[in-house]
Amino acid sequence: MFTPNDQMRLARAYVPFQIFSQRLNPMEGLMKGTIFPELYFPYRRHHK
Amino acid sequence: MWFYEKKLQYPAKVGRANVKMAKYLITQYGGPDGELAASLRYLTQRYHMPTPQAKGILTDIGTEELAHLEIIATLVYKLMDRASIEEIKQADLGGYYADHDKAVYYVNGSGVPWTAAYIQSKGDPVADLHEDMAAEEKARATYEWLINLSDDPDLNDTLKFLREREIVHFQRFGETLQIVQEHLDAKKYY
Repeated sequence: MFTPNDQMRLARAYVPFQIFSQRLNPMEGLMKGTIFPELYFPYRRHHK
Repeated sequence: MWFYEKKLQYPAKVGRANVKMAKYLITQYGGPDGELAASLRYLTQRYHMPTPQAKGILTDIGTEELAHLEIIATLVYKLMDRASIEEIKQADLGGYYADHDKAVYYVNGSGVPWTAAYIQSKGDPVADLHEDMAAEEKARATYEWLINLSDDPDLNDTLKFLREREIVHFQRFGETLQIVQEHLDAKKYY
């Protein structure tokens, strides 16, 4: 389970900030829909 | 003010005309979780956002949703292209045809016209950003169900691009929520 840190309070939603690290080349980024590999979550069909 | 780029953000190819798929896909045009709803929601909520960053992200994403609207319209138009009356009847689109011919109109997958009741502009930036994050997740799920309905690899390629953009937008709204909440907290204690 995710452990909250002392900056967080209850009854609030948190999305971690993206920290810039690496970047795909522009063409690969266009094809994937993002230039950030850490934000790329492709869909795998499960209901068939 | 906007500048218009006379090309699509991403290619909108279809393998073949497919009236049934057009009927399903049109929900991302004028449906509850579609691109029109997304765009108009963000572009009107931006006025009451408390920080320049939040105003900026709603303007940027609201604008990008217009680019997605244009991609969906192109796909629907291509899927309907050269459809015969017989094919339209088979896809149960006779009712749509009677009202619109093969024009692209703002309806959901069952032909119900778009309504502003799909969106909210609450005036509370925290409440509105939560709606925006939910909207991105609902649109992502819709793209997944549409990919499940489609056996056209060209169409699915574009749908996968649009789905990934929803994930990126969710991340940006999540970061914006944090910025706005910190801003509102700081105001309470000068």
